[in-house]
Amino acid sequence: MDQTAEIQRHMAFHLTGAPGGDLESVDFAARPALLAPYRDLAALRYDYPVVLVDDAVDEACVSSLTTLVDHMLRDNAPRGVEGERVRRSVLRAEREIRRLVAAGARGILSDLWAQAAPDLADETEHLNVDGEVADCDAELPRRVVAHAWHSVQRQKARRFHADVDRLVQALSDILRAAFIHSEPGRRPESLQAAFGSLHSDQFDFDMMSRLLGRSSPRDELPPDRRERIERALEVLRRQRFFDPAPGSSSAQSPEPPFEYRYTSCRAAVDAFRERLPAVVEFVKAMSIAELEADGRYVGSQHDAFFQSFDENSLSREDLARFPDYLVCVHGDESGAVIDLLSSGLPVKVLVETEELLAPEHFGVHLRSTQLASTVIGLMDVFAFQATSSSLYQLRERLLASLRYTGPTLLSIFSGPSSASSDLPPYLLSAAALEGRAFPAFTYDPEAGPDLASRFSIDENPQPELDWPIAPLEYADASLQRVVEQIPFTLVDFAACDRRYARHFARIPREHWSDETVSVDQWLTLDPAEAEARVPHVLVVDDNDRLQRLIVDAKLMHAARRCRELWHGLQELGLAHRHLAPALLDEAPPEPLEPSVAEVPGAAVAAVAEETAADDPWIETPRCSTCNECTGINDRMFAYNDNKQAYIKDPDAGTFRELVEAAESCQVAVIHPGKPRNPDEPGLEDLIERAKEFQ
Amino acid sequence: MTPLLRQCLIHMAEDHHSLEDYEGGVPRWCNGCGDNAILAAVQRLCRGEDLSLERTVFVSGIGCSSRFPHYMGTYGFHGIHGRAFPIAEGIKMARPDLDVFVNTGDGDCCSIGAAHWIHAIRYNMNLTVLLHDNFVYGLTKKQASPTSPRGLRSNTTPRGSYLEPLNPLSVTLGVEGASFVAQAVDWIPQVLYDIIAAAHQHRGFSFVRVIQRCPEFMPGMLDPWLQDPSKTLLLTHENGLQLEPDLARIYTHHREHDPLDIDAARRLASSDDDIPVGILYRNPEVPCYEELRGAGQARPADRIRASLEAELDKFTVWPASDERAAA
Repeated sequence: MDQTAEIQRHMAFHLTGAPGGDLESVDFAARPALLAPYRDLAALRYDYPVVLVDDAVDEACVSSLTTLVDHMLRDNAPRGVEGERVRRSVLRAEREIRRLVAAGARGILSDLWAQAAPDLADETEHLNVDGEVADCDAELPRRVVAHAWHSVQRQKARRFHADVDRLVQALSDILRAAFIHSEPGRRPESLQAAFGSLHSDQFDFDMMSRLLGRSSPRDELPPDRRERIERALEVLRRQRFFDPAPGSSSAQSPEPPFEYRYTSCRAAVDAFRERLPAVVEFVKAMSIAELEADGRYVGSQHDAFFQSFDENSLSREDLARFPDYLVCVHGDESGAVIDLLSSGLPVKVLVETEELLAPEHFGVHLRSTQLASTVIGLMDVFAFQATSSSLYQLRERLLASLRYTGPTLLSIFSGPSSASSDLPPYLLSAAALEGRAFPAFTYDPEAGPDLASRFSIDENPQPELDWPIAPLEYADASLQRVVEQIPFTLVDFAACDRRYARHFARIPREHWSDETVSVDQWLTLDPAEAEARVPHVLVVDDNDRLQRLIVDAKLMHAARRCRELWHGLQELGLAHRHLAPALLDEAPPEPLEPSVAEVPGAAVAAVAEETAADDPWIETPRCSTCNECTGINDRMFAYNDNKQAYIKDPDAGTFRELVEAAESCQVAVIHPGKPRNPDEPGLEDLIERAKEFQ
Repeated sequence: MTPLLRQCLIHMAEDHHSLEDYEGGVPRWCNGCGDNAILAAVQRLCRGEDLSLERTVFVSGIGCSSRFPHYMGTYGFHGIHGRAFPIAEGIKMARPDLDVFVNTGDGDCCSIGAAHWIHAIRYNMNLTVLLHDNFVYGLTKKQASPTSPRGLRSNTTPRGSYLEPLNPLSVTLGVEGASFVAQAVDWIPQVLYDIIAAAHQHRGFSFVRVIQRCPEFMPGMLDPWLQDPSKTLLLTHENGLQLEPDLARIYTHHREHDPLDIDAARRLASSDDDIPVGILYRNPEVPCYEELRGAGQARPADRIRASLEAELDKFTVWPASDERAAA
């Protein structure tokens, strides 16, 4: 097949999705090239699993296992050899727990610890905390949100109980004082009961009663006030909004507390409506109690007000005293969710999204990112959008959203079922965030007066760019280390999922050419130019070999749409920098230079790129570190992290040095290429000598 | 990856060391010397296994190879000629928790230290032994060693050496108690690394003969093997060496060899033509001497501490009132 025919075949696949010619279907488990190094997550220390710490507040309620272990070791591991032994054992235990949890084990940290490292069971006491261990899987959003919600409600409950106890105490004191001053309170048996049994035989309580009856003013509570106070006390004591606090004076309700967790919007609204009279009654009782406690209740002023007190009298601050409703639904209830949020009720709605791209209708299904954007228009709804992989990093924002006094939307991508991908759920979820398929953002109505200060997309990687860029390090066909900066796009995210395999076709390595362009470049072409070019994406196969896949037009359309949606968020999110239009027009800024050490192991993908025959090169993996070349010129030749030579700067020396290095290399891995300086003396002889090593 | 994901994916950092952490002095070996390759492989191993600098010891005798401990950032003991093994054994008996490596040369091990070598094999203590075999005494400027090829003209054999060379592999495999015997060459870095790593993982006396070039005194001796990869016989096995595809394409001469088969190992060790590279023999069942003798139990930490306190007390200046009491 000649080259033109190949290009036509590539174009035909791009347009129609029909493979043919040299193209091969993607029958291997492809993974984006940038994710190549992350094969075994259990061997890495990262944010997951997390521990949902019992009885903790604020950020500490969700803690990474790694962080807990680090803190434990920092505080408890002895110095020196013994400490080293403890450290290694504990880190082994951590790795084993990670493996157990990844394999589906559930339970609390202390149990898993005992299972993972029975010999280190004593160390668990140094952890100081315990709680359920949760890995980054489909259930994570629900578990973490519910746990954080519980934590926030616990804090609320503490404030609530403190207020109620204070008021109950104050009202009880009023009643007790009135009783003491009353006729029954001055009876001898009451006085004796108040005095207690000790030394009671030394007092004449009859005499005391008579004396007190003569000297005390008659100041009994007016009946209507007594009734008001007693009714308020009754309401306060019988509240069912929070679990009764141990020892609390409000723990007298015979009925169980209300349930606040629901799985449908309708049920939550119904529950709210049903409890509204009780809420009104309670707020009324608290207001009366406050006034009575301060002695500021004036019947002529307040009676009329409290008689007409109803649900319309409730303010947001009043409702904020009560628990928030937590509603967990899936993405297909978005209509009901918007209705619920727009009602202004104190609800926290968790919407879990499992699918972002339906194989048939990419465009339609990208809507899932729209829900959170839509509720921003409601102005007073806190919107928090994230992927499950970023929940730990964004836990502070998550807690802020749950503390918000008004309605909150928590839109979280939990990832499709693992059956559709070979990647662990954490990576899949991270890929959705990196590929802008499910961007993270927050809209906090209390953060400032304008949209710019309320809306933030800073949670995303490199938010100024269309797509985040990261270095890809690999060995090319000549086993040379190559580092390229490549973007992570929606197409990379789609490549993780086997269900989209038919939107890709593999180009055999020998047919790679400059005729295909990378996805991000293709998206920046003007439409006329794009029609003539075929986009490709880099992935690795099961053997970590780099592959180029052609992407069909349907998927590219989805990628274009995704990019447009991202631009929309960028305009909002970068507005506070007053640079949004300028930034979007400008060339993207250079990404930070990444450190090789940050990539755990080089991606060992081999690629059949043509190395320019004129450039000098070294078969680095075969270098035996004999110092011959570095001894000749250590600016031109240098050692890499494995102490094997590569050409650091071909212009840092002469062609003669290159040829001499090639001649003296014991394992003949240096190839001098062609002279770079045509004026170098003795070139003719050197070129002849170099021939042997080309 | 981009910062957010990168923050999450922290490489397993159990006190993570870089290769530079294991570097000691600047090597003074000749350019082109195979010792450099062995040094690089060992430093990579230390990094790969994340060995503690303070719990790793390199012991050597005398010779070019025995300068090795100077170039490591760990503890080291540059011993006396032929006595690397007893020193290493002493360290292991006193501190069985340490990782102990022995670097010895063909002269140091196979000539003056031969008796210690034989008995070190018998003891099967948990040591990683690297025999740097360049077929010549290099430090003393070219004298014939026990492994020098017959006919080598050197300062001590001006008419050529008269004897056939000693084969360190055959000797080791012939001693009762041998538990790990392997051969590597310095010019295939990945295989060298893999073999040293396997030796380090083995619990017992891991003997690795590394055939290395000496460009100064034996130039060209190994060129036939360097220039023709098919002359190097790579021994592969699921329990032994496993080649990466790229390497297997270059070194096409492989053979499956089960490291448990000592008879096959002895035949391979004594073959003349091809250089066998790989794990010839491995038997994890051989008991280690330090375990048989309960090494380390005689010196528990509290006793060491008490002895140190007693020693330090000798130099303590006691207050006048306590002096009598102390006396």
